Amino acid sequence: MKFKQILVVGMLVVLSGWVGADSCPAAEPYHLGVDLAVTGTGALYCKDGVDAIRLAVDEINKAGGFLGKHPIKLFVRDSHTKPDVAVREAKDLILRDKVRCILGTYSSACAVAIKPVCKEYKVLHIAAISNSENITKTHFSPYTYQVVPNSYMQAKAVVLGVAELAKKKGWKNYITIASDYEWGRSTQKNTVALLRQLAPDLKLKKEFWPRLGETQFTSYITAIMAQKPDFVIGSIASKDNVAWMKQAKAYGFFDKIPYPGSLISVSELILQKKTLTRGLIGLCRAPFFAHMDIPMMANFVKHFKSRYHRYPSDWAVMEYDAVYALKQGIDKAGGIETEKVKDALKGATIDTTRGRLFFRKIDNQLSCSSYIGVVADDPRYPFPIYHDLVEVKGPDSWRPEAEIIAARSNEK
Amino acid sequence: MIFAQFMSGLSRGMMLFLIASGLSLIFGVMNILNFAHAALWLVGAYLCYTFWYLMPNAALGLWLSIFLAALSLAAVGWIIEAVLIRRVYDRELSEQLLLTYALVLIIDDLIKIVWGVEDKLIARPPLVAGPVFIFGAPLDSYFIFVICVGFGVAIGLWWFLKKTRYGHIVRAAVFSREMVSALGIPIPRIYTGVFALGIFIAGLAGAIQAPVGSITLGMDMAVIIQAFCVVVIGGFGSLLGTFVASLVVGEVYAFSILIWPEGALALIFIVTALVLIVRPWGLFGTPART
Repeated sequence: MKFKQILVVGMLVVLSGWVGADSCPAAEPYHLGVDLAVTGTGALYCKDGVDAIRLAVDEINKAGGFLGKHPIKLFVRDSHTKPDVAVREAKDLILRDKVRCILGTYSSACAVAIKPVCKEYKVLHIAAISNSENITKTHFSPYTYQVVPNSYMQAKAVVLGVAELAKKKGWKNYITIASDYEWGRSTQKNTVALLRQLAPDLKLKKEFWPRLGETQFTSYITAIMAQKPDFVIGSIASKDNVAWMKQAKAYGFFDKIPYPGSLISVSELILQKKTLTRGLIGLCRAPFFAHMDIPMMANFVKHFKSRYHRYPSDWAVMEYDAVYALKQGIDKAGGIETEKVKDALKGATIDTTRGRLFFRKIDNQLSCSSYIGVVADDPRYPFPIYHDLVEVKGPDSWRPEAEIIAARSNEK
Repeated sequence: MIFAQFMSGLSRGMMLFLIASGLSLIFGVMNILNFAHAALWLVGAYLCYTFWYLMPNAALGLWLSIFLAALSLAAVGWIIEAVLIRRVYDRELSEQLLLTYALVLIIDDLIKIVWGVEDKLIARPPLVAGPVFIFGAPLDSYFIFVICVGFGVAIGLWWFLKKTRYGHIVRAAVFSREMVSALGIPIPRIYTGVFALGIFIAGLAGAIQAPVGSITLGMDMAVIIQAFCVVVIGGFGSLLGTFVASLVVGEVYAFSILIWPEGALALIFIVTALVLIVRPWGLFGTPART
């Protein structure tokens, strides 16, 4: 008798759950993956990126999630700045955590490595830190979007500035130093090629390729100084860049040789506030102080600062924009299905902390700007920022579509 | 130009010597290949940051921090030897490597817990923040300090091993632990002391590296490979070999950057491979220690 009662009650419970589920469907959570270098060479940049993603996710979840009904569940993985690890983590995110989108990536080698994985499993991939143009130029994947100015755009921005300076100062030759990996190689190659077009009289004297993760640049510094170039162009990032800048300064390098247009992001401005040479001409990807007039940026900076007690770096800005790009894609698609979101983002115009921008249809590259300025102290901030900031707009600096078509036609 | 390159190679070589000498000392005396040496070197850098951070206004803040970091790490080394390493003296090399590699993973995670994943930066005092010119060649003034410490450690180790009673005992223990033990000298204590000394030098090297760039997770992995190259070229367990090999590696790297920048790192490994083929016991090692 007792057993029968339990059975009936149990069946009623199951039945009521089933009926309830049918009459009021629970919204499916959106599984969002992050594949960033929480440790390793890229940790300096990626910590900020992850923090910004968490902030954006919490903001969206406060309003119920995507479309007000799909709460975001975040899965953060550490790529260790190694392509094989990045791929392993991406696969794990897709197969185990069932993510619909992967935000990342640090090191373009990692981005290029996980692109085919995302394509194979039909998962969105938004690159917000790694910026080799090969992420979207060649072996195109409709699932991969880029919200960071790519290496060609950054190189073009530098070259425009350097060509102008070379003309003014009568520079004749230069040396390049770039980290020996995908991003360093592609940035250097683009810079040299563009300089050949815009300033054909400039001669490249020598190229230096320190390995990724180099801690001691002294031999490079003395070798470059011995060559006495008119100027040096550098493509070194993250902790390598910190070591390079610190050691080069200690050699009096910047007092002797102009070093225009190297990557000095907000991370370096903050981290090296005491030691960074004022007057350096630097390049960055998304400095918050350039867009404090945009309400979305002002709010982001305010909330980031109140939550983490520091100012956001370029990497934080771009990862934050990546989450909101995805949100706007989902809003436009009216659902979270990846195919629909992917199609909705194609050519979409979106609101970002850096203004109203659009994805170019041919390569899913966001029309974001590059920024060049002079490092200088500013009473508004406890670290130097850029003065005389020049914003080189995306459409003025990205690779012409015809060249992309030509590059793709040569692919096997 | 050549002098400047020579000096930069010398500073690189001295930095390598500081890392590799502790490794070589521990292997030479105790026959333990400590894969965790570079991880401990990294802890030395982080400890230096912590001491420096705690003494923001001290005139000798950085110098004191370097010394305290090395000393603290020696204490850590003492504990590691007494608790872990002592148990694997008679085990196979592969088991020793497994244990010390496990230590690498544990130390990496401990660093994350204690110091977080953010990079740390130490500002140098003005005295060593700018360039000095020697025969017109520029040199980072901090590397003068590095070179002096490198030579100091080399001379200090030589003096310790050759001229002190304790050093004689240590050298005797290399050849016959049993004989030393039969004389009533406690071998375990000798080994603990040597291990702590090796780790002290690792800590010193890490702390000295700290103000050169930023301190970050993963730095140790790049360093350990070059340190092993130095030990292989010089000869396992030979301090003189380690010293000479450090200079060779530093100078080969510096001059190949001048002549063949793309192959600088490859050249070091080519030299290492050649030594392994032609003289597997290294330039100053003995065949018994291959």
